[in-house]
Amino acid sequence: MNASANNIKIGLAGSFTLDPITRYLKKDIENSECLVAPYNQLNQLSFKPEILLGGETDQLIILWRLEDVIPDFSNTFDALEEFINTLTQLRNNYQGTLIIGTPPYPTTAEFDCYSLQQPNKGATLYHALIQKFTKAVLSLENAYPLNFAALIDDIGHKNSYDARKWYLYKQPYSEEVWKSTSAIVSRIIKAQTTPAEKAIVLDCDNTLWGGIVGEDGLSGIEIGTDFPGSAFQDFQKHLLHLRSQGVFLTIASKNNEEDVLEVFNKHDGMALKRDNISAWQVHWNSKVDSIQAIANELNIGTDALVFIDDNPKEIAEVQERLPEVTCLLVPEETAYLPAILQNANLFDSLATTDEDRKRADMMRAETNRKSVNQSAMSEEEFIKSLALNIKVFEAEEQHLGRITQLINKTNQFNLTTIRRDKNDVEKIQADKNTLLMGMNISDRFGEYGLVGVAILEKKTDDVWNIDSLMMSCRVLGRHAETSFLAKIADAVAQNSGTALQGIYIKTTKNVLVKNLYEDHGFEKEGDNWVINVKDIKQPSSDVTLSLELNSGS
Amino acid sequence: MSDKLIEVFAEVLEVEASTLEETSSPDSVEQWDSLAAMHLVAALEDTFKIQLSTKEMMKMHSVGLAREVLKAKGVDV
Repeated sequence: MNASANNIKIGLAGSFTLDPITRYLKKDIENSECLVAPYNQLNQLSFKPEILLGGETDQLIILWRLEDVIPDFSNTFDALEEFINTLTQLRNNYQGTLIIGTPPYPTTAEFDCYSLQQPNKGATLYHALIQKFTKAVLSLENAYPLNFAALIDDIGHKNSYDARKWYLYKQPYSEEVWKSTSAIVSRIIKAQTTPAEKAIVLDCDNTLWGGIVGEDGLSGIEIGTDFPGSAFQDFQKHLLHLRSQGVFLTIASKNNEEDVLEVFNKHDGMALKRDNISAWQVHWNSKVDSIQAIANELNIGTDALVFIDDNPKEIAEVQERLPEVTCLLVPEETAYLPAILQNANLFDSLATTDEDRKRADMMRAETNRKSVNQSAMSEEEFIKSLALNIKVFEAEEQHLGRITQLINKTNQFNLTTIRRDKNDVEKIQADKNTLLMGMNISDRFGEYGLVGVAILEKKTDDVWNIDSLMMSCRVLGRHAETSFLAKIADAVAQNSGTALQGIYIKTTKNVLVKNLYEDHGFEKEGDNWVINVKDIKQPSSDVTLSLELNSGS
Repeated sequence: MSDKLIEVFAEVLEVEASTLEETSSPDSVEQWDSLAAMHLVAALEDTFKIQLSTKEMMKMHSVGLAREVLKAKGVDV
């Protein structure tokens, strides 16, 4: 078997950590590979999806929460508009299929559904936001909405949210959520490639109605508004719904034709009418013959058929002789009959109706009009709009805890990945021949705190070595590294150094920074990248930038 | 000797069980990063049918410390 032939690459990105889903997706979708973007980087992702994901993908799943993306609920709709622009941007820059989740009902105090002071206020706002968001997603090309909010409702909010994991890992959900999400995502992905079943072949007695018409007569069978007839009637309504979506309904029944016709023509309880049936095989020949005749008549393959019967022997015979037919046995418990087709997910199809399509076209035109006036920002303009404020400073004792944490946790944006414990870090800070540098970042979205660390050692009077250089993944995509390196060079210059050198040590996770030194003007000398401090690349003038060194050094 | 706890760690960290010791920690096992720590918590809760507090999660900085935490919760490991 050639595994690479069907290899599906799935990208995942969210306003929170969504790595736990990969464990389930790998099981649910054969030959799949998952690439996960750092959490809450959707803006950056929209410009350079391949870089944030670490490779090309066929599908990109986006899950998000309102409380992560709209932290301030005083200008909710503007913030949502901005998020929709981000998704439009992503649509322009990403080649594959987008699967975009609806945000669940928020867990924050503003949305307390039991508030006695403001009953329904949160719910009303939520539904207005969802309506606007769903319309926007439907207007995007090759993007499918995933009703993540409904999934959370189905599991229950209390069973979904896990505060412990949210605070420790920025991962708000229980394992059950990830398992169910993976199941739905794999349905969406499979529906894109696997053709949906096209026709249902139905038995009559004890399948479309209760009882046997040949024995019990027209008045003896159960079909109508009273149970068990009501369950059979609901099943028929479900069949009619599928018919409206393009699925053929057909009959294969061992009966006298006039008995069955009489039920269809005369029984008030029947939701199905003779006209709804596209092919009709009522006689005493085998079901296998009937199924083949139906496939011929409709000019479709038998592999596109679903056969439903209450007789296990009939099911067994069809499975034996026509294994490509999907067979469903009517459940013993009649109350469960109406849902059997729903649970089987056989008719998953991503094709939309003409009306949906028309609505989507209208929306698309509207979006296009808007983007003429308010064209999507370029990456440069986006970064400018962030109003970045970057402070580079020599670390003091109060910073050592956070710095040790970054040294041991940072995987992606890390040039050498040298791990150290708190004692080592304290020694480095005390050492006169080293500079332990930190970086704080804030922008219009908020404060990110201490997110960058560099360890610089004096090699000679002129040359300083970059022993370690790292940045937290929450500030990727802002070119903050350019500011950091420029200020590192300044710090070295102020300590009478003239040159910087550094190496890149490859790990499985740090491909992101492979070209960092080269991109900032360093030149290769043996294993080292070297630069004169005066030649280092300067950051954009839109960044507010400062450097603070301790007076002692 | 089959050790259920080591098995869980080996499976989540995708390493041979024989390479793990009581002193194994994020400092000595390359695969043991913050994501792996999150997966470990889920796997331990699932395998031993327990609920860990955030304090307990943060304490489990080595195989031995994880064993201590589980023992204190009455798990036979």
